[in-house]
Amino acid sequence: MAAAEGSTPQAEVMSIASPINLILLSLFVVLLYWNFRPKQPVTLPRGPPPVVFRTYTPKTLIEFNGEDGRPVFLAVRGRVFDVSPGRNFYGPGGPYENFAGRDASRGLAHQSFDEEMLTKDLSGPLDDLKDLDADQLENLQSWEERFSEKYLVVGKLVAEGDPEAPKS
Amino acid sequence: MANQAPILEKLDAALSELLADWNIYTTLFAGIIAAYAIYSVVSNKDPDVHPFLLARQSTASPIRQTGESATYRSLETPYGFPLRQGLNVKDPGAPKWTAGRRGDLRDIWKTAVRGALNEDGTTSGKQGKIYTVLGKNAVEHSLPQVTQEINVIGRHLQKAEVKTVAVCLTDSIELLAAIFAGSFYGFKIVLIPHNLPAETLSSYLQNAKVDALIAEAGSMDLALVTKTNKQVSVVIWVAKYGNRHMDWHEVPKDVKGTLRVAVWHELAEEGRDLAGFDVPDYDPTTPAPAVNTVWPSGSKAGDFIDFKQENLVAAISALGSALPRNQRFTSSDLVLSIDSLSRSYPLCQIFNAMYSNASIALNSVAGENVDFALATQGVSPTVIIASSRTMSEYHDSVMKPHTGLISSLGRWVQARTLDAGNMPSQNFFGRLAQVGPTAELSLEKLRLLCISHRVDADASVRLTSEQLTDLRIYMGARIVYALTGPGIAGAIAQTNVFDYRDLSGPSHFGSPLSSTEITLTGVSENQASEEIPEGQISVAGPAVVDGKTTLSVRGRIGTDNTLELSA
Repeated sequence: MAAAEGSTPQAEVMSIASPINLILLSLFVVLLYWNFRPKQPVTLPRGPPPVVFRTYTPKTLIEFNGEDGRPVFLAVRGRVFDVSPGRNFYGPGGPYENFAGRDASRGLAHQSFDEEMLTKDLSGPLDDLKDLDADQLENLQSWEERFSEKYLVVGKLVAEGDPEAPKS
Repeated sequence: MANQAPILEKLDAALSELLADWNIYTTLFAGIIAAYAIYSVVSNKDPDVHPFLLARQSTASPIRQTGESATYRSLETPYGFPLRQGLNVKDPGAPKWTAGRRGDLRDIWKTAVRGALNEDGTTSGKQGKIYTVLGKNAVEHSLPQVTQEINVIGRHLQKAEVKTVAVCLTDSIELLAAIFAGSFYGFKIVLIPHNLPAETLSSYLQNAKVDALIAEAGSMDLALVTKTNKQVSVVIWVAKYGNRHMDWHEVPKDVKGTLRVAVWHELAEEGRDLAGFDVPDYDPTTPAPAVNTVWPSGSKAGDFIDFKQENLVAAISALGSALPRNQRFTSSDLVLSIDSLSRSYPLCQIFNAMYSNASIALNSVAGENVDFALATQGVSPTVIIASSRTMSEYHDSVMKPHTGLISSLGRWVQARTLDAGNMPSQNFFGRLAQVGPTAELSLEKLRLLCISHRVDADASVRLTSEQLTDLRIYMGARIVYALTGPGIAGAIAQTNVFDYRDLSGPSHFGSPLSSTEITLTGVSENQASEEIPEGQISVAGPAVVDGKTTLSVRGRIGTDNTLELSA
């Protein structure tokens, strides 16, 4: 640089290639690049993968009673709801804990959380609820509606040995 | 401490040495940098839409069936909410808080005739217009005059007690009038593409059990068509302006007693005094008859798609709401369709335009494959509806070869603006970019291009992201790019009008419309769950005939939750 300037004395007065000019020029180039650099489109992290809709039998459903951090499921008239968000009520230690992992239809219809509302024989047919009166059916209906609003239906419940039941 | 002073001194010396070189060029550079910095701060705009809305364009259901993907829906109607059912028509007398009706095509015509509303809800009396483009000329039709024709034709066909009317016309005012006449006067309309060979047409008429036919005078051999279609009892010829002096009343010998032939403009002339300019009264609770279209399929002659009015209104409403508020069709728009109205996307977009009180323009040469430059002559539209084939061919044969060095430079600058999420304004660089590629067009007012791609069309006419960017820059218009399929009114999915991202490869199709939901079926369960699901596209919703259909093609849902076609 110094040699170049020395050989052309006039350029020393009005040099375009002086260090400060070069600095400013590179600053300009950086600014330009900053403005026109290719920009990557924004990406959002993917949401949780969707839950697979499954067919449960009373025996496989009972696993999901909320113990050891497992999700809490309960079945109403053949539909299995994931009530894990309401773990305090339906999970272990909650007032409705008997329903966790079970068919809760009869209990909800009777407004009773007792053990005898549940179908004892897990290998037997599902409770057909034929003996309920109109009031109880209405009760059940309103529970079911409330569940559908709040919770996700993650599967359906069929009796053990049903053709739809998954082969284990 | 003692060490630092010399360093500072050295620095000071270096700085003063540096500044000693300050000269006129330095001032110039500093000026340019300052000007540029100020310019970029001043011209900095927020992107047209929040980038997060483009990063996740549809919502996925939290549950899926085995072998299927989650169900994807528009952000307007997420999982758990009802899909868009219809136009939500509020009748004048109805209480304010009641939900609107789904509506049907009759409400669309009534709204078009009523004219645009002022902000306070009173009618302004400003009706849209309908233009038919013939070459370089545009003929204007007033809506009352068309209402009169609807009444005349409707009564004529009602008197003849026909149930199913085939309409085999180029895009024209008569085609629209016939569709509305069908809705008001209770007969089913079958839209048959024009220029079909007589045998194909005959078999269509037979399949659809058509008992009346509206066709262009001189476009077909009536004797040949009626030979196999004895059930046809009424024929109405639509004569072009140049052919009106001719006698079109000739009836083939073997159907002389059973077939009545009339000519559209003569009927309109005769019935003028009786028909009146008023939209016929109708009972909104009675369903209006269906509109059928033909979906061209590769091997066979084509399938009839039996669109119920509910399908159409759901699609029309969804197409309307898919555009953000400031981009919707308004009464100041002129919407030109250069794609055939016998295809459901252009048809629904035109109805959407009428329902928004926009003016519309129809072109008799409209079709899936037309010369874009020729077809857009004659009017200066703000919105153009075209097919992917038309646009792709125009891009490849005209735009690309005419893009020189200057255009490329302009394009590069404009593309940076698009990358930043803004639609470039018509500035110096814009004109620079357009100098070659669109020299022959006169589309100063164009603001939106609605492009539809048939799901089973040739993969070579699928537009790439780059082509869409080219079209945006060279035409100075925003773009929505929709995917259409058999049995689905309007479109399956459509890109966001503000999505300018230039991703590589063929463009995606955005999110489902608010009247449809998409599930991929036949998805391999071995796939890791975080991978992009791929499977056969299954579409459900109010815009789908019979509620649900599975297409023959496979698709993917990308990381931004947009629909892409595989392969």
